[in-house]
Amino acid sequence: MRLEPGDAFPDLVAVDHAGRSRSIGELAAGDPLVLQTYRGFWCPKEQAFFRSLLHLQEEAEVAYTSIVSLSVDPPEVAAAFRAGLGARWTFLSDPEREHIDALGLRETTDTVHNPYLPTLIVLTPGLEIHSAYNGYWYWGRPSMEELRCDLREVTRAIRSDWDISQ
Amino acid sequence: MSERCWLAIVDELPASADAAARLGDRGGNKHGWLAAWLRAAKPVRSARRADPRIVDADGDAALISLVMPAADAFTIFDDTAVQQARRRVLADPEPADAITTLLVDGSHFGGSLTARRGPDAAARLRDDPFRLVAPALIATIEAGLLGVVSPPCGPVIERHGSEVPWPGGQFPPRS
Repeated sequence: MRLEPGDAFPDLVAVDHAGRSRSIGELAAGDPLVLQTYRGFWCPKEQAFFRSLLHLQEEAEVAYTSIVSLSVDPPEVAAAFRAGLGARWTFLSDPEREHIDALGLRETTDTVHNPYLPTLIVLTPGLEIHSAYNGYWYWGRPSMEELRCDLREVTRAIRSDWDISQ
Repeated sequence: MSERCWLAIVDELPASADAAARLGDRGGNKHGWLAAWLRAAKPVRSARRADPRIVDADGDAALISLVMPAADAFTIFDDTAVQQARRRVLADPEPADAITTLLVDGSHFGGSLTARRGPDAAARLRDDPFRLVAPALIATIEAGLLGVVSPPCGPVIERHGSEVPWPGGQFPPRS
């Protein structure tokens, strides 16, 4: 599939860092959701980008925005990476690569790890794609300012009391 | 399910409760009942609001950490200590089977209830982040009250409205 704004994102199910089966829709739980796919804990580019997401976490925690990170790392590896980062959002694992091809997100140039292509997708609570960023080259990833703009647009669209004076 | 859920410790099994289970200590002694009511009106004076998702009349026995500060020791829900406890809940690599904060009104922290099962439940409950806010009672709870609830996605620590016990609830979709 192509990840285009306006398209529906599949409500896929994967195992979280604690070994529980979770769906994307359940994780969004009525809020905007930032879905990140990443190569794996070992990639320096991912480590750098996670440091940016950790800054966003400090705002997302009061801004009714969920974050999910998805990789082929097994749950126990994702859990250790998550703990080491200090992330307080859900990490999903797809070690069997059940979703990677359906999403069109296999990084075919890495035949050693067969990881997810680094991608960041901003979803509405109804799992409509608002925006998608291809992070194969690092500068393809969104800045936190770009993400703030995306999340402002999504939140404005879904919260009926956005402009309380109206 | 009712919009509101109330929890209270009571001496006798209340006929009006929607679910209830005996509380005990790890020595096998019983210490009253933890009861839940799913209704709008407050059922008993000591009742506090909880996330209704934790209530499951078919739920198994569990070990719980129950934080219930006295009425003269309430802190505001937005107190930084309560915020940090919520962050620590989200950071926990092994989420509890069920967790809810408790509310006495729209602005104060009325406590928390955390349920765990399994061999490490007691050890993990000793690290209940909310016991840094107020003392915690570690107790056994028999089957028939508490279920298993998927943990929150994170990293949101805010309530979805001041009347909604964290981590439950969501804002209504735009009509």
